[in-house]
Amino acid sequence: MQRKDSCLQTIILPVSRHSDWRESLKRQINECEPGLLELDCRDWSLSYKDFMNILTLLEKFHLKINLIRADIPETIVSASSLGLQASLNIKQPQCSTSSITEDIAKKKESEPLTFHQGTLRSGEHLEADGDILLFGDVNPGAKVSAGGDVLIWGRLLGIAHAGKRGDINSKIVALQLRPLQLRIANKVARGPQEKPEEGLAEEALLESGQIIIKPARINSLRTA
Amino acid sequence: METKTRIILICSGKGGVGKTTLTANLGISLARQGVRTAVLDADFGLRNLDLLLGLENRIVYTAQEVLEESCRLDQALVKHKQEPNLSLLPAGNPRMLDWLKPDDMQRIVSMLTDKFDYVLIDCPAGVEDGFKNAVSASKEAIVVTNPEVSAVRDADRVIGLLNTHGIKPIQLVLNRVRPRMMASQEMLSIEDVTDILALPLLGIVLEDEQVIVSTNRGEPLTLTGSKSPAARCYSNIAKRMQGEEIPLIDPSKEGSGIRDKFRRLMQTKIF
Repeated sequence: MQRKDSCLQTIILPVSRHSDWRESLKRQINECEPGLLELDCRDWSLSYKDFMNILTLLEKFHLKINLIRADIPETIVSASSLGLQASLNIKQPQCSTSSITEDIAKKKESEPLTFHQGTLRSGEHLEADGDILLFGDVNPGAKVSAGGDVLIWGRLLGIAHAGKRGDINSKIVALQLRPLQLRIANKVARGPQEKPEEGLAEEALLESGQIIIKPARINSLRTA
Repeated sequence: METKTRIILICSGKGGVGKTTLTANLGISLARQGVRTAVLDADFGLRNLDLLLGLENRIVYTAQEVLEESCRLDQALVKHKQEPNLSLLPAGNPRMLDWLKPDDMQRIVSMLTDKFDYVLIDCPAGVEDGFKNAVSASKEAIVVTNPEVSAVRDADRVIGLLNTHGIKPIQLVLNRVRPRMMASQEMLSIEDVTDILALPLLGIVLEDEQVIVSTNRGEPLTLTGSKSPAARCYSNIAKRMQGEEIPLIDPSKEGSGIRDKFRRLMQTKIF
């Protein structure tokens, strides 16, 4: 009840190319009253460390974060890793000059990202028409299939199918890629025999008709 | 009193990993610690918990008659002679499979909750009707698995199903561990198993030939006060269930002591 009465305060960070979010955040915090706060990070890619700094700053002003909003999954992941409640702004049009992000904005509008939290156990099957972002492992015997990309914040030990309706540009990204089988569009490949290097995120994609695995690029999650 | 009763499902998915043996031994160990324990055989089709406990010839009525109200619950309960704190509620005959519904299972278990502190339900293998019946009446679960790929895979599937039924907490018992094979990496290691299943490990049970002997005799290892490795493991698990803090055994250190070596030598058949 109290929360509704006191009217949830919202801080919206400026779009990344205009100014620095830190200054804007400080300015906006000064105007807030102690209590709960909703923080919209827009298209800022904030790391775990950034959120730690934000939290200590907010603590000084007796503010608590109720919800984090962001346009990009990376920020959501760092926020949730700190146990904050986070939600992705999907429909929000992105105003960015970069051609890559414009592409994503278009893609996002047609195919929403599906979130799943928790490990997929043997026999379970997660399926979506758009992209899938999964927090947790895909155990042996479990399967994920997406019309777009498959992004796994965890270990992939089961079967993953990206671009199940024939999108050859789809890819599969996981913190640990040790699948039984990989499928991209209509291509099928058996998983690698050897264990991958510890702590090295990898991605699988189609290159000249073959599924290849290589270290994940830093923006793999973003270009989803 | 009613809320205090712990209703624990013992399941595995795969058959032959040691659900029934664990149920029988835990039942005896718990009863020995002075808690009133009931073991319920939910494996109606292929029941053999009564065999393991050596109670087969004392069964007069079964859960089926209780449900039909042709006998009272205490008539159907078979008290163990040496451990009066332990009672077995035998399943009906295999034909019961056809008409038993989750509701019936819940009724049986709710009758038991007034009289006992622990109700251990021995779940049938598989994930079909028998499993669903057993799950519907349970609150917690112990998943038994062996350090082999197929057992772990099935356990993983079962854990997924238990989660959807809201069973909590779910704990893991790793059965039939062979320290030597683990050391030489011929067998999945404890980490390999817990890594995939991501469950708290309630206990490890070492592979032990004495288990087969005790099964055939109808005397669970924990009953005879045997000092064999598996008997120790079972009673440790029962103590942990009661909240005692007992460290897990380290398989790599098992069997390296002089006494163990001597015992193994004595058991080796030279001729």
